[in-house]
Amino acid sequence: MLNKTKAAFEIRDYIREDLFPHFMCPGCGHGIAMRALLWAIHDLNIDKDKLAIVSGIGCSGRVGAYIDANTFHTTHGRPLTFATGLKLARPDLQVIVITGDGDCLAIGGNHLIHACRRNLDITCLMLNNETYGMTGGQVSPTTTRDRYTTTTPEGNYEPVFDACELAQGAGAGFVGREITLQTPSLKSLIQQGIAHPGFSFLEVISDCTEVYGRKNDLGESPQMVLSQKSEFRSDSYGMIADEVFQPRNVKTGVLHKSDRPEYAEAYQQRITDRVKK
Amino acid sequence: MSEIQIRFSGSGGQGLQLAAKILASALALEGRSISMSQSYEPTSRGGLSRSDLVVDSSAGYPLVTEIDYLIILDQLAVENSTGMIKSGAAVIVDNERVDAPPPGEHKTSTLPLVQTAREVGNIRAANVVSLGAIVGISNICAQKSLLQAIHDTVPSRFVDLNLEAFKRGYALVSANREEDPHLTAVS
Amino acid sequence: MSSVLNLQGNHACALAAIAAGCRFYAGYPITPSSEVAERMSLELPAVDGIFIQMEDEIASMGAVIGASLGGAKTMTATSGPGFSLKQEHLGYAAATEVPCVIINVMRGGPSTGMPTRPAQGDVMQARWGTHGDHPIIVLTPWSVEEVYEQTMRAFDLSEALRIPVVVLIDEVIGHLVESVDMARFKAVKPVERKWADSKKQGFQPYAITEDFVPPMPRPGDGYRTHTTGLTHAESGFPTQDPETGQRVISRLLDKLEHHNKLVESVEQTDCEDAEVVIVAFGITARAAQSAIALLQKAGIKAGLFRPITLWPFPDQSYASATRNARLVLVPEMNAGQLIVEIERYQKDGTSVVGLNRYDGEAIAPQQIVNKVKEVLQNA
Repeated sequence: MLNKTKAAFEIRDYIREDLFPHFMCPGCGHGIAMRALLWAIHDLNIDKDKLAIVSGIGCSGRVGAYIDANTFHTTHGRPLTFATGLKLARPDLQVIVITGDGDCLAIGGNHLIHACRRNLDITCLMLNNETYGMTGGQVSPTTTRDRYTTTTPEGNYEPVFDACELAQGAGAGFVGREITLQTPSLKSLIQQGIAHPGFSFLEVISDCTEVYGRKNDLGESPQMVLSQKSEFRSDSYGMIADEVFQPRNVKTGVLHKSDRPEYAEAYQQRITDRVKK
Repeated sequence: MSEIQIRFSGSGGQGLQLAAKILASALALEGRSISMSQSYEPTSRGGLSRSDLVVDSSAGYPLVTEIDYLIILDQLAVENSTGMIKSGAAVIVDNERVDAPPPGEHKTSTLPLVQTAREVGNIRAANVVSLGAIVGISNICAQKSLLQAIHDTVPSRFVDLNLEAFKRGYALVSANREEDPHLTAVS
Repeated sequence: MSSVLNLQGNHACALAAIAAGCRFYAGYPITPSSEVAERMSLELPAVDGIFIQMEDEIASMGAVIGASLGGAKTMTATSGPGFSLKQEHLGYAAATEVPCVIINVMRGGPSTGMPTRPAQGDVMQARWGTHGDHPIIVLTPWSVEEVYEQTMRAFDLSEALRIPVVVLIDEVIGHLVESVDMARFKAVKPVERKWADSKKQGFQPYAITEDFVPPMPRPGDGYRTHTTGLTHAESGFPTQDPETGQRVISRLLDKLEHHNKLVESVEQTDCEDAEVVIVAFGITARAAQSAIALLQKAGIKAGLFRPITLWPFPDQSYASATRNARLVLVPEMNAGQLIVEIERYQKDGTSVVGLNRYDGEAIAPQQIVNKVKEVLQNA
């Protein structure tokens, strides 16, 4: 699919510059994730007119607006439901969901597992910054144990969700994880996820420097992403939810890939063709 | 044509909706207009169940208010119709399942509907036995239309059973008519 | 072959949707509306449509909006508890002006209530169930034939005005089977959405147009617009500017006002010189129609005012229909919801009286007759 003669990636070709300055805080990982996504889209030669970005609510949800495509900023936790309808009605569109850890795993958890189960050809990019940044830094399903948030004043005591294990268990055809610092690897992961015919769940380890980082003395953005680099590695074998790994030692890269039937194809074969016979 | 109100009642799972549906289909073949409604409990089996037909409605109201023909296949359905039965109506109750028919100024007959279904080979055919009885009493439609409606409505492997059930129900009325003057159309 | 069919209300709804051009249905099972979904799952594949049973009511409504954003005519069906869950996305559809049709086959409430029994308890939920000021159209058929007619009309209004339309059916009508002559629906031509076809550069997806309905950009056509449930300027992008916020919400609300003639539909029977006007919809209006015939026989000048379009409430037609009325009776299968709206238009010399039933049974014609006589005697 890669067009060798194509011009080099220039982010300005893919963003709505007239909306700048953007809303993201200095040091936020979401912007880098957006860059990696657009880079992947460029390399896959996807027509912007056929690109649909569907996002939920929260900091991750606002990212979509800066992308020069058909962008849909939907409701909290439910972008996958909109994306499901959109993709089924318009199989010609490349549908990419941008969501966050709270959006996708808490309020949208039910939609996530069923989207994985159906395996419809949608790419779901979950930007995990371990907190509800937009509402002031509350605890989320991925907040690391013992960390402070505005709703865990004594430190977080809840176990975390491992989104990738969840997605794989629920049936997603393609599952992967990457940190923002490894932007080329992240871009490559997204590229593979989009190209996979089926539901792709991609967890991006982002960082919320301004709210979460500050509250937990995690340092400025460079320190945060460098510590991510030591915790999240492609040569590792741990999972986020494995409490035995201290410090965390979590695997990145492509975590799961299967050729389960894609939903729309299965629908066509089982339903439409049979009815029309 | 003047309005006729019919109710099939009993407990859930007795096929009352199907009986009404077959009759509605037969009436449609004869160009009659119907309104069919139902009431049932959230359980698929047991509990009060009824299916109502208003044929050639004069006022345009689709629900029964004064029943002309009433089938009761279970005691638990008696109370629900009390107070809605037209004076002079024909009320048919099952001899096994109904001990105390609804009181009032109507013509009550007790027939072995469930027993007849058993003899036909399936207790669940009591609905269509009842249908035979209703048509036998009321002559609301031609037997031919009703038999056609059974063919159109029932899955093919059950057609023969239902045709037999209908005929037996119809015969119950003609066989008992001399002894039971109640088994006549409502005027 | 005869064009007359014995058709169930819920099935009529599904067939009408197909005839209106609906090609996407997402739903979740709930009594007493499930037959709509079941029928759609049978009918849609044959016309290259998509049926999907989603994981919950919220998801069904989300999928319906997503498919409509993609360009499909879409529908979902539910009942009271499910309708409550759909409200979040109903608000999104209203705010972003995405056409979609929502069928609500009402059952007893509150909460899980009486799933198999009829009620009319969602009058206010249909109007005000989602938060904020928003326009919405609610249609209330009273027969199986009218379920077909009004479901088709719901699609037409929704597509023409870019607005969610709710068809409020009660369990009696949803499950009622009636003989329907389909002949008159053969020639009906559905309304199609107004798609954007102007210049792409600087396109304003929510521009204030002459008819208050901005043409919709179709993904893939090159407009690359932004859609958001946040209060958005004409550009489609969020705004916090008070002046812009006031202007765009006003346009949204003015849209229905502007198209009032298209939206309003009422039926009046013998209201001209009626001393008693009964206001009712759905199965209750069928009872009221029988009741006015009985009342007229007894020498009482009675009429029926039936708001087929329940929301926006047809206030002017109502005022004209009740100008000579001494008594306005509002029978409804709830504890008194429509009457709250009616009372807003009450004038001197007319008393407005309710007749309410919420025991899971329909209101019978004789009940209405008795109530009218009782009120008149005590007047």
